[in-house]
Amino acid sequence: MENIMLPKPHKILRVLKETQAEYTFRVECSDESKHGQFYMLSIPKIGEAPISVSGRGEGYVEFTIRKVGRLTDGMFGLAAGDNLFMRGPYGNSFPVESFEGKPLIVISGGTGMCPVRTTLNYFYDNPEKCPEVRFMAGFKAPDAVLFTEELEKFKDRFNTQYCLDTGEMEGFKSGFVTQCISDVPFADYEDYNVVIVGPPAMMHIAAQECVKCGAAEEKIWVSFERKMSCAVGKCGHCKINETYVCLEGPVFNYTKAKELLD
Amino acid sequence: MKTSEIMTGRKDFYTFLQRLFYKEVDAQLLGALKGMTFSENCGDAEMQKGYDAIAAYLKNSGENSLDELAADFSKVFLGAGSHEGNAAFPYESVYMGEKPLVMQKPWEEVKKIYAQHGLALENVPSEMMEDHISIELQFMAQLDDIDDAKAFLSGHLLCWADRFCADIEKYAETDFYKGAAALLRGFLKMDLALLTELEGQEHAEKAYSVTDAQFDAVIERLSKDYKVYAPRLTGKFGRNGKEIVRFGEIKSVSEIVYDRQSDFSAKEVYYPVMQTMIYFTESESRESELKDDKGIIIIAHPCDINAVRRLDSIFLENGNHGDVYYARLRNKVKFVMLECAESFENCFCVSAGSNVCEDYAMALRLGETNSVLVKDGEFAALFNGCEETEFAPKFVTENKKAVNMPKVEGKDDVKLASGLEYWNSFDEKCISCGGCNTVCPTCACFDTVDVIYDETSVDGERRRVWSSCMLDTFTLTAGGGRARKTAGANMRFKVLHKTYDFKKRFGKENMCVGCGRCTSRCPKDIDFAEVVNGFTEALDTAKEAK
Repeated sequence: MENIMLPKPHKILRVLKETQAEYTFRVECSDESKHGQFYMLSIPKIGEAPISVSGRGEGYVEFTIRKVGRLTDGMFGLAAGDNLFMRGPYGNSFPVESFEGKPLIVISGGTGMCPVRTTLNYFYDNPEKCPEVRFMAGFKAPDAVLFTEELEKFKDRFNTQYCLDTGEMEGFKSGFVTQCISDVPFADYEDYNVVIVGPPAMMHIAAQECVKCGAAEEKIWVSFERKMSCAVGKCGHCKINETYVCLEGPVFNYTKAKELLD
Repeated sequence: MKTSEIMTGRKDFYTFLQRLFYKEVDAQLLGALKGMTFSENCGDAEMQKGYDAIAAYLKNSGENSLDELAADFSKVFLGAGSHEGNAAFPYESVYMGEKPLVMQKPWEEVKKIYAQHGLALENVPSEMMEDHISIELQFMAQLDDIDDAKAFLSGHLLCWADRFCADIEKYAETDFYKGAAALLRGFLKMDLALLTELEGQEHAEKAYSVTDAQFDAVIERLSKDYKVYAPRLTGKFGRNGKEIVRFGEIKSVSEIVYDRQSDFSAKEVYYPVMQTMIYFTESESRESELKDDKGIIIIAHPCDINAVRRLDSIFLENGNHGDVYYARLRNKVKFVMLECAESFENCFCVSAGSNVCEDYAMALRLGETNSVLVKDGEFAALFNGCEETEFAPKFVTENKKAVNMPKVEGKDDVKLASGLEYWNSFDEKCISCGGCNTVCPTCACFDTVDVIYDETSVDGERRRVWSSCMLDTFTLTAGGGRARKTAGANMRFKVLHKTYDFKKRFGKENMCVGCGRCTSRCPKDIDFAEVVNGFTEALDTAKEAK
């Protein structure tokens, strides 16, 4: 029997400081992962936690980690050349292939941008595959803004709206990201998809706002974040009713997500 | 199914395999194969691989399939067309002899065995040696005796089938013969398990009356190969002033506490409270090893034996991947069912549907006289010299407590059940200590904890420790978010898991076995039977109101 809980060491290629609290770790890895999947990352003597793939390229994957909790504090002692123990990828993914050829609306809150970042870059690099991408990103405050260069880059090809809950910054509107949803002309679209990722309350409000603005529930996709100690359906932490987020998620269609009552 | 039916079924399959490897596929066989419906979920991964490959080949086969299959047969089994003469030569002697040649010692051996059984092997062409795969399969199809079949299977066919099948897969060009290899390999392994089970059933089912002294001698003999666990006193006292009973190793029958429910369940024997999973260095991770190679015998009441099936569902079935740490202990366990003299204080196993159990190696009644029923063939000789008796174990058919399991049907009911005001009443009552999870035989949740040996190195280990859904940190993420924030919400989560959604997911049975330990354990006297009844009542009321 294969030991599915045994992590393997991967070399850290680069550590990039995104904000005071968030760092992106580029790790040597040639696994195939799909948009929205996650790995269990561990630092010996600290512990293990599920972290979404926030970027990928030839021979590497990236994880963007916020400095909270025991695991992520430990992560920040690591530098290029050190080993990071990990196992994965786990979970399902955004159905990106079925997003092709239709307008895509992406709404992210804070680090919720990480799991959708590879999807955004996929459509940025392949503009012919998507007629219209609307990207709305919200952040708490100016010092919490992630991937600044990429946010600029996305402006070239996407319809972008960036928001700050508090504080001011050039190019950012004041207020919650959910206020931008009413600008989306859902009624004009024949078919489309909406991706919402962020804190639970933000996802809940954003999904409701979309529905209020005429979006169909089955066209909305969300990604859940849950505590996990195994990611393979054993530890029980991520279970909601009979659904295991690690196995059936983390990506859920909203018709299913709204039935998942914690 | 009756043993005779099982025997006929497996013999038919041997005949089918015999034909596949005997000679080329002819029009008649091809026609028959095309007319067959292959199982899409036969329950064995290897065999399924075989079925799928053969079915795929047949679906796409055209007019020249017979020629194509004949060419592949010659290539694979006769080495035709191979420059090096490499092939999966279908003779045991080639694989098991000192040199890869026919007519060596294994050939002599199988001839001797055939002769001993005096079975007529039909349609054997003179140029075919007796250790040809098809003849060994035909012999299996003719053996009626379970012990003989098992001996020939494990002593001959299984010794070389793996490598033979790997060679077929290497040299075959058609999915047909690749599939045949997988089918052969999968079936032989499955048949060994089947025969072992039948062997056990055949030898067993004898009952004995056993004195304490005789029993102690049996435990001593078992202890050479097994660790024997049973509920026993611990010398420590609980909140209610009673001495705590837990599962521990025993040396004498007199240690077994059989007339009250143990405070902790049997799960701690095969799923320990804490176990080391992985050892780390800076650049390596290594799976921990089991230091003990003894088997495990657990003497337990039906609730604990029925509980293990629930844990199997999670650790072996869920996510389609088995958990190594669970499997390596669990696979060592044989259960001895300890008859319940009476229904204990908080039991509601009858309502939970787990008062009866059949899945045990032996059954035991303890009291002024001890009786034992031996089912597992391995233990058939254990009680030789003891007085044979008539003994059929009895099961509790009535408890002091009865529970109405909730009827949650469909999404609307789940929503209704989750939103009940009822759960809020536990915000005050429950102190979130998690004691109920700790004593529960079916709670499986765990946390992992990393431990470093000293501050100057990174060497350390990852351990897993039982977790508890009633603790307020159970859903706490690194960012500080919690999916469930109140004791009432945790209670709702636990009760629904135990009485509804586990069954919804695995389709077999509710998780709760009704052992009543959580009730006995609760420092706030929350009675789980009453909790479930209260839930069912509140749900019914809400349904009516709608």
